Amino acid sequence: MRLVGSAITIAVLILGFAAIAQQTGPGSSEPPAGSPPSEAPPANGSQPQVDESALRYFASQGDTRRVNAEIARLRALYPNWTPPSDLSQLSGAAAAPPDPIVERLWNLYREDRIAEVRAAIAERQGSDPNWKPPEELVTALETVEARRRLLNASDTGQWRTVLSVATESPNLLTCTNVDVLWRVAEAFARTDQPGRTRDVYTYLLTNCSNPAERLATLQKALTLLPEQQVADLLQFERRTGEAPDDFSSIRDELARRRVERASLDGKVTASAEDLAAVERLIRNTNEAGPVLILGWYNYHHGNPARALELFKTALDRNGGAKAAEGYAMSLRALERLKDAEAFAYEWRERAPENMKIYLDVATALLSQDPPPRLESPVVARIVTAVTAQRFSDGAQALGWYSYNTQQIRTARDWFRTALNWKPEDEPSAYGLALSAQRLNERAAFNAVVAQWRGRSQRIADLADRTNPALRRQSAPVPPRADMPAGETAPSVAAGYAAPRQVTVERVEVEQPLVRSEEGIRRRQTEARSVLGRSCAITRNPNGLSGDAALTRGWCLMEINRPLEAVFAFDQAIAAGSSRTREEAAYGKSLAYLRKNLTSQAATAAAEAPQTRERRVELGASILTQRALAAYRDERFVETLIALSERARLVPEQNDLLLIRGWSYFRLGRYDDAEKVFRAVQQTGYSEEASVGLNAVREAKDPVPQ
Amino acid sequence: MTIRVRRSAGFLPWLFATFLAMSSMAYSQTLSVQTLTIAGTISPADWEAYRSRFVEDNGRVVDTANGNISHSEGQGYGLLLALAAADRRSFEQIWSFTFTELLIRDDGLAVWKWDPKGKPRVTDRNNASDGDLLIAYALAKAGQVWQEPRYTSAAQKLARAIGNNTFGRSGRSMVLMPGASGFGAGDRPDGPVINLSYWVFEAFPVLAILAPEYEWNRVWRDGVLLLQQAASGRVRLPADWLSLQNGLQPKPADGFPPEFGYNSLRIPLYLLRAGMTDMEWLRALKQRWSTENEGVAVVNVVTGQIRERLTDQGYAILPAALACALDGTPVPEALRTFEPSLYYPSTLYLLAKSLLGEKYPQCVSSAAP
Repeated sequence: MRLVGSAITIAVLILGFAAIAQQTGPGSSEPPAGSPPSEAPPANGSQPQVDESALRYFASQGDTRRVNAEIARLRALYPNWTPPSDLSQLSGAAAAPPDPIVERLWNLYREDRIAEVRAAIAERQGSDPNWKPPEELVTALETVEARRRLLNASDTGQWRTVLSVATESPNLLTCTNVDVLWRVAEAFARTDQPGRTRDVYTYLLTNCSNPAERLATLQKALTLLPEQQVADLLQFERRTGEAPDDFSSIRDELARRRVERASLDGKVTASAEDLAAVERLIRNTNEAGPVLILGWYNYHHGNPARALELFKTALDRNGGAKAAEGYAMSLRALERLKDAEAFAYEWRERAPENMKIYLDVATALLSQDPPPRLESPVVARIVTAVTAQRFSDGAQALGWYSYNTQQIRTARDWFRTALNWKPEDEPSAYGLALSAQRLNERAAFNAVVAQWRGRSQRIADLADRTNPALRRQSAPVPPRADMPAGETAPSVAAGYAAPRQVTVERVEVEQPLVRSEEGIRRRQTEARSVLGRSCAITRNPNGLSGDAALTRGWCLMEINRPLEAVFAFDQAIAAGSSRTREEAAYGKSLAYLRKNLTSQAATAAAEAPQTRERRVELGASILTQRALAAYRDERFVETLIALSERARLVPEQNDLLLIRGWSYFRLGRYDDAEKVFRAVQQTGYSEEASVGLNAVREAKDPVPQ
Repeated sequence: MTIRVRRSAGFLPWLFATFLAMSSMAYSQTLSVQTLTIAGTISPADWEAYRSRFVEDNGRVVDTANGNISHSEGQGYGLLLALAAADRRSFEQIWSFTFTELLIRDDGLAVWKWDPKGKPRVTDRNNASDGDLLIAYALAKAGQVWQEPRYTSAAQKLARAIGNNTFGRSGRSMVLMPGASGFGAGDRPDGPVINLSYWVFEAFPVLAILAPEYEWNRVWRDGVLLLQQAASGRVRLPADWLSLQNGLQPKPADGFPPEFGYNSLRIPLYLLRAGMTDMEWLRALKQRWSTENEGVAVVNVVTGQIRERLTDQGYAILPAALACALDGTPVPEALRTFEPSLYYPSTLYLLAKSLLGEKYPQCVSSAAP
């Protein structure tokens, strides 16, 4: 019988909860009894079906007292339940006429107006000291009050109160109050008694039959118990009967967690079943979570290609920054560094991890051997990110990249920058030493050696090998193929043998420089006199003699077709005498400058030895364009690098000095900015310089509000 | 310092005799708590006016000036006033709410704040020691009056929890901390911080009987001493919130206005209700509160500047009660009829009126002018 079952249920619970008394009461150190899942549960399906059989039985016996007790009990369990109206027929008019006040009290009780029931009892007792409320009502009230206190206490995190109320009101602890059982289980967990928590869940899964509540019980267990204990609870799954359980979602969750743990540790392997469970989760949901887990699992277990697919899926499912990080890392693992850089660049601002992977990928890209051919916008954005993040590894990589593409001055500056950001970075110091050596900057070279000789064998070796007789200062210096194998830096030789696109800074300057343009004009005029305008007809310059190609090149410059001029100059370089080659390389540089292809211009200038005058002229032009471009893009550090490099070749004129001043200003280097603006001002009146000085004054001394 | 305990005929004795030594000048004073009966001292009409406005059917006492929240203090006052009105029905109602909604803390104290708009409704699970004292005191008195062991046993539990969790040491003093946590020397740079209006003086001897293992007597006595110290400055008013960082030199606590405010105005009422009329400070206060002077006001205790004058009936009755208790001055006619406004002044009014009805009927009898 159901009632009997309930009574046993309660008894079992009281037994199981001996621990509560132990915990809240004084003393006893006796270990609490468990609640063995031995009771055969009445598996009669879905719940809010109120079992009225006992009630009907007592009514048929005419046992009013027990009828009332059972009504009270059922009311406590199901506040919305009303007793059946046909009970009196069963009892055959045996029941006494109902007391109207008791009827009113039960009505209030049913409406959950507990304080008013209490008040009415007190009032009645005030006028009639001998009157006593029905015992069932008192029990029902106490049960409801206990339930409220238990709920309030658990909502407020007062777990010890939860347990003491449960101990005092064991009749709350039944399958009809699963919510109470869950809260008691949580209270045990929150008071460091996970064993008791498991006991409550075990009790519930053994005795309570509602499948939804049984599943929810395991979901609660997932949040409170160690996974092994949750796995142990799965044994209570009922596979047969009217309302069988389906705990597969719990199994999947456990599998998901195991794969998740393994996904971050290449040494831990997940079982095929677990992996299959996660695959199933991926198929059955639209969430990115399981996809990410499997993505990381594949990434860390040597399958970046599969990882890449999964991260792509995760991105499609709005997996966000984490998915992007995984995608970029997978591309890198697949050595698709250009793709990785381009992708990671798009996501770099989303989270610190995304910026990190971008910088890492960019560094890896630059550090390839041989150095890759990179579009200038790619290098430019790497420069911007590395500078903004003060990422020393990136600065070092830019140093090697510059070095290996024969931009030794730029390389030197990047190595110096890297050392500024990370003074103990030996590879950067080594790069700086190599660069200084290539540039014949003895003082700089000696300074690095002096600082690092004791700490770096290879820097010391470099110093010892260097011939004290300096090479004549002429660029480019022949490549040194003596970099120790296995170093951080790619082979030095790689660069010079096939000069590459030189793109360490962004280049898109519009107005070429007056000084260069004068040179162009002179030669154009000469060329025109030879050819007239015949060069306007497109012709393949191949096959022309060196001098003819050179003339044609200048002619094309005259009619402002610089790219075709480049081809002509190329032919001149290929076929011409040394003087022609020099002239053609010069022309080619100017052609590139006109197209704002500064870096190509720099490369072209290196294709044939130039006179010092021309080297200076071209170098200054190139650097001016770089400085202006960097300034326009608000890359002030690079602006200053380019300006300083240029200033070593030619004096800095006022307009560039102002650019320098404003760059300092924008970088917050107000004192430097002030010095520069003042210098400009002293060369004569300069409105711009005054504006600059005012700005510096304001920035240094903000006007108080 | 010595304590004499005398027995007075017939009633449970709670007499403190305290010699309070102060730094340079030493003076002595005899103070004792006289027990109130309370039950039956408020008229059904006055109580009905209060109950219908501030007590909901579920037993919740509503603070109408504070977003209709409820708090442990309000429940305590509600219980005390229901007892004063001898309304056992309402008492039971208010207790039902207090018990199921507030008395849920692990340490046995009441959570202090309950907001009908909150989720969960308990929006601050901390306790407020004055609320705990008031609830326990009302339960203890009701248990006696109505011979209801449920009340007495609940009072005893709560009294133990108070003694266990809110009595704290400050130097050589033993004080009532405003809450079980957050106010101690380790909790705030200026801790310990106390609030003298949390000493419901009349409750101490009653709860001492229920939980004699705690030092109620000493906390009561040190409260009196601290009050005298705090009221010894130029302005002669204690700030609501006091730092005891300097031991017996209480200073206004950080983060609170240095004011004698809504909290502290209860102190004279509590002193009168406890029968501690000998306290010299009450005379000075009566002077300040007299209508010729500034009246009841929120006052900066450092500068003496008035921030707000309080004219509601519930505040105005305080100087009237003081004048009655000290000089036998009858309560002015205008204050004799209850005109409930907001929860707090209405509560103070009925507490004062209950006291006048029990101890000073001559001040409020119709024969008086």
